[in-house]
Amino acid sequence: MSRSRRRPPGRWARRAIPLALTLALVVTLRNVGLLDPDRLSRAARNLAIFVWGLFPPNPSTLPTLSAAMWETLQIAFAGTAIGFILALPLALLACPVLFGRAVTTPVTLLLAFVRTVPALFWAIVFVVAVGLGPAAGTLAVALYSLGYLGKLLYETFDGVDPEVIEAVRSVGCSRAQLARYALIPEAANGIVALLLFMFEYNVRASSIMGFVGAGGIGFYLLGYIQMLRYDLLLSALLLTLAVVIVIDRLSALVRRMFLVPVTSPAPGE
Amino acid sequence: MPGRPALEASGLSFSYGAGRPVLRDVSLTAEAGTVTAVLGVSGSGKTTLLKLCKGLLAPQRGTVRVLGVTVAAAGRGRLDPAVAYIPQNLGLVRNLTVLDNVVMGSLGRVPGLLSLLGRVPDGERRRAEAMLERLGIGHKTDEKVHALSGGERQRVAIARALMQEPRVLLADEFVSHLDVLTGREILTIVKGIAGEGVTVVVATHDIELVGRYADAVIVLRDGHKVLDRPTGSGGTEGLALALRR
Repeated sequence: MSRSRRRPPGRWARRAIPLALTLALVVTLRNVGLLDPDRLSRAARNLAIFVWGLFPPNPSTLPTLSAAMWETLQIAFAGTAIGFILALPLALLACPVLFGRAVTTPVTLLLAFVRTVPALFWAIVFVVAVGLGPAAGTLAVALYSLGYLGKLLYETFDGVDPEVIEAVRSVGCSRAQLARYALIPEAANGIVALLLFMFEYNVRASSIMGFVGAGGIGFYLLGYIQMLRYDLLLSALLLTLAVVIVIDRLSALVRRMFLVPVTSPAPGE
Repeated sequence: MPGRPALEASGLSFSYGAGRPVLRDVSLTAEAGTVTAVLGVSGSGKTTLLKLCKGLLAPQRGTVRVLGVTVAAAGRGRLDPAVAYIPQNLGLVRNLTVLDNVVMGSLGRVPGLLSLLGRVPDGERRRAEAMLERLGIGHKTDEKVHALSGGERQRVAIARALMQEPRVLLADEFVSHLDVLTGREILTIVKGIAGEGVTVVVATHDIELVGRYADAVIVLRDGHKVLDRPTGSGGTEGLALALRR
């Protein structure tokens, strides 16, 4: 048998590997405190109290919550829009079809750095910079979206059919024209889908921005938890759920209205 | 009537990365106003030859000259619009309208900033409309490309190429997906374009179409040129033999 060919694991290895994994899991569970019977029974009790406290939901604060939810939606919408406006040129700069490594590498590294930092951390940074309120939340969501949309967009541009790029380049256009007339329109389906996904995601992300004073319904969510008012918390969560469902339906509608079918009629039809 | 060669490729060799050569020492000369067929089975190097002639790829050895000017692979820069290239699947932008796809052929001469704003001079737009009318799809200008039939899309690709005002038109297997009648219609259009002085080079694996529409043919097999002659001599049997030998 040649040395390069992989040998199937022996009988000993087939038994040892699952055993080692099981052992690693047990040790990890013990280290994180999930094998402590006292702690687990306490947790079960607390959870029961929490669930009991959720019902029935208390709608008395719905007007206040609705205003906060509206603010959350505005944070998500403006944040996604600003993030997209900033991400589009950066994604084009990161696109190997248009630029060499001297340009694409620093841009992809910048986007990776922006992505590495969690949205909540950006929110803290912007609360320090612009003060408490939705402006900080909007900037945080925008920056977070920039990191993700930038990466997803340049990957979408990278996936554009090379024949389309070659055909459009062949007319003698510049790189900017190639982006305007080939990359962006060809990737339009992907771009719309990404924007809808990012907006949906940002509605959820924006609903915890208030935890650090960056506006939206998160301020109330945290407050109700701290005051042990779980009945009000459930109302807020149900409102968030309702809004997310509505956005999901609207997104589906937008997709149907704007997206071009991927399949075209077969040649000769 | 033979004239000065519009396209001269000499001694082209090319391989993708460190792989085996796709083309070995291939030469091609095409006279102005003629149709030259590059015949070969799949993988024989036809597409690579056309891309080298367009400047989309740089040969490891050999040169390409169009109207006496050496074609340099442009990297990511601008390519010469005098050589039009229609890839096998046409490379149309399916989210744009027919007219937008055709107007795109004029991008090489439209001011950059204006075109980035989506503004194209009225003259170019009118030329594009006239081109579509001439090719029989003037009534489809506002339709999206994805809604067209195969034959209509071929016409859009030809119109876009003609908007470049090319001296050389390179077309890669672009009728191979069509039914026989539509394919013949398209090739008749191409023949007409050559009649206006444009040098046409068509890559194909269809021997019958070569006999019917081409003035000259070269046969590629495994990256080597195994035959180069006018189509009038030798008949299609010789071509079939050259392909299989």
